[in-house]
Amino acid sequence: MSLGIFFIGLPFILSSALGYKFSRHTLKFTKTGLIFIKTQPEGAKIYLEGKLISQRSPASMQDLAPGVYKVALELAQHYPWKGEVDVEAGKVSRLDKIILFPLRPNLVRLNRDQLSSFRIDAQSKLIYYLDQLNRVVYRSDFAANNFEDVASLPQGFTQISGWEISADRKKLFIFNQRQISVIFFDNQGDYGYPDASVFWDYTQEKVINVFWHSDNYHLVVLTDKHVQVVEARGQSKPLNLVELNKEATSAFYDVKEDTLYFNDSQNLYKLELSSNLFLLERLMAQQFQAVKPEQKQNTNE
Amino acid sequence: MNKKIFLKRTLEIIPGGLSWGIIVGLIFLSIKYPVACAIIIITFDFYWIIRTVYLTTLLVMAHNRLFRLRREDWLKRCAVLPKNQGFSELYQLVIFPVYNEGLEVLQPSLSSLSASHYPKDKFIVVIAFEERNIHAQDTALALEKEFSAKFGACLFTFHPDGLPGESRTKGANATWSAKSAKKFIDSRGIAYERVIVSCFDADTCVDPEYFGCLSYHFLTSDKPHQASYQPMPVYNNNIWQAPSFARLVEISSSFCQLIESMRLEKFVTFSSHSMSFKTLVEVDYWPTNMISDDSVIYWKGYLHYNGDYRVVPLYVTVSMDVAYSSNIWKTILVQYKQKRRWAWGVENFPFVVDGFIKNKHISMFHKLRRSFHLLESHVTWAVWAFILVVIGYLPILFGGAFFSSMTIAYNLPKITGLLFQFTLLTSLTWIFLSWTILPPRPKGVSWIKNVLLVLEWIFVPFIILIVGSLPALDAQSRLMLAKYMEFNSTLKGDKVL
Repeated sequence: MSLGIFFIGLPFILSSALGYKFSRHTLKFTKTGLIFIKTQPEGAKIYLEGKLISQRSPASMQDLAPGVYKVALELAQHYPWKGEVDVEAGKVSRLDKIILFPLRPNLVRLNRDQLSSFRIDAQSKLIYYLDQLNRVVYRSDFAANNFEDVASLPQGFTQISGWEISADRKKLFIFNQRQISVIFFDNQGDYGYPDASVFWDYTQEKVINVFWHSDNYHLVVLTDKHVQVVEARGQSKPLNLVELNKEATSAFYDVKEDTLYFNDSQNLYKLELSSNLFLLERLMAQQFQAVKPEQKQNTNE
Repeated sequence: MNKKIFLKRTLEIIPGGLSWGIIVGLIFLSIKYPVACAIIIITFDFYWIIRTVYLTTLLVMAHNRLFRLRREDWLKRCAVLPKNQGFSELYQLVIFPVYNEGLEVLQPSLSSLSASHYPKDKFIVVIAFEERNIHAQDTALALEKEFSAKFGACLFTFHPDGLPGESRTKGANATWSAKSAKKFIDSRGIAYERVIVSCFDADTCVDPEYFGCLSYHFLTSDKPHQASYQPMPVYNNNIWQAPSFARLVEISSSFCQLIESMRLEKFVTFSSHSMSFKTLVEVDYWPTNMISDDSVIYWKGYLHYNGDYRVVPLYVTVSMDVAYSSNIWKTILVQYKQKRRWAWGVENFPFVVDGFIKNKHISMFHKLRRSFHLLESHVTWAVWAFILVVIGYLPILFGGAFFSSMTIAYNLPKITGLLFQFTLLTSLTWIFLSWTILPPRPKGVSWIKNVLLVLEWIFVPFIILIVGSLPALDAQSRLMLAKYMEFNSTLKGDKVL
């Protein structure tokens, strides 16, 4: 009997697996296709040619004659999804990357007071808020709880064009075209750092970008004329590493490798600032006229 | 190479060649023609679902029969048989071939024999030692002191090592001892027709009703000398002490034997079994150079009686030890080696086919049928776990984007999943039945062990691959490469069997 079941059942199992459908009317097998639908979130109603096919996604629709089908997906409190799917004989049409977006997105205001800009510390799951109006930097966790002020911005420092928290989360720098300042967080209790802010004025050149070195002590400064490093302490003088003939237009600092990438209108440059502090490499072209490493230490007052 | 050797080697290569051909062929297909491979896998999955349901049904029926008959007073039924059936003149020759087992193994076996619900004066017990076993004499003396008065006769034989034409096998020892017993039987003037011989593994503890049941079936059978009598082996001796892995394997082995008892057309003797002594002498005893003496003796009878020979299932149990060792890895190794030895039964195939070629009286239909069954059972044993556990997923792995876009690629895992659901369903039946054949939990064994007995079934997919197909493939490969196996004892807990 089991052999009988096997030989009778096998053609149906195999034909079904291969996508064939047996018609009792014509007594013929026809090759069909399959649609597989997976949504995020799951549980959407699936309509095929306007007819409810499944109450919950993910689901598959088998034994479909080849052709183009209209598919609609509906989930309460979410935008519906509509589209057309081409079904081929013996093939699976997969709609498995559909995201159904909520009708009312979960938009939550996070900041406590005024806000000019923010930084995310993904590692510590903290948000830092820069409030220029009240001249303060404060922070909270990702759920906008546990607000606390971490630093006060120095008086007279206006038009902040960039800022960044150091990786040790003890200080931040702010800069504009003519000034850089390092501000130490309140109540750090760290003997090695002063509580007062440190300033550097740039009267002869324009600050384009500033980065934290991986040691959290040096700043890497890109001006229109130089690439500099400066220690984050009072009275420290910037050290010009490279003199630029052309103004840099954009820059990226790889903290892991302590490498600065920057470009002018013609070339992209790479400057390693770790063990080989003064090594400059041109990545795109050998144009020594564009960049001249300094022969001696220059200071910029 | 002469014709005889060519035929022998060809027949030895066929099972392993087929098994490897199927495995390698399917791997090749899964890479080159994944659709074709998927079709074969789905066919096999469907076959396996039907087979699982069929075998589980047989198991339930056999289990039901075992439970119905296990409390039967067989001796009483023998006693009421007509006198001309000759129950009062029937003798039980019981042979225990001993490899290097000691008193701790043999004492429980002989104690269970002495507790049999059967006239003890009708027992001729032979403890068959290997002469090379240095402890044999001491063990024999201790056993003689304890048991010789409990049976009609208690003989101790010592099989010399290295006799011409012999390998170091259990069959060689059993044959030597049976020939010694023959001299004893002749000296007492007992007709061979009135003697039933039972060849038991050294750790076999018989059910008290076993010999009554055996005698009843022997005396009431049509052509009793043209049959072997097979009890149901269970591994209850140390089942509460054995680790889950080993216990599960042995319970499955018991169940397989129960299932086989329902398929008489394929039923072959296994492990401890009984038969007419007259037939044993006529077929020239057990083979002395083959490991699978337990099944070869059936085939010798089958060939001798031109196909008119069968195995009669006896629904009483004989209990043996679970093979295990001190830790899980050693247990896996012990189980692996034991199952490889069982799988070495594939050596029956060349033996049987060669016998069929020489025999002109068995019909071609029966020759083909029995040869096919034998070959199919061994090849299936070697490949089924590979197909279900490994190869079933290869087309999806190797099929690439084109195969993934096809309906069959979508349906293949669904059908394989269905197969595992079915397996789970049948496992529940097996779990329940396994509980019913357990001996009572000994004092000092925690009730948690009962819970473990259920939970251990989650190891099934892991176990089927390790002790399912691999040992069989190993055995077939050895036969294929003419690397013949020799008998080795199996470690069972702290005993060596």
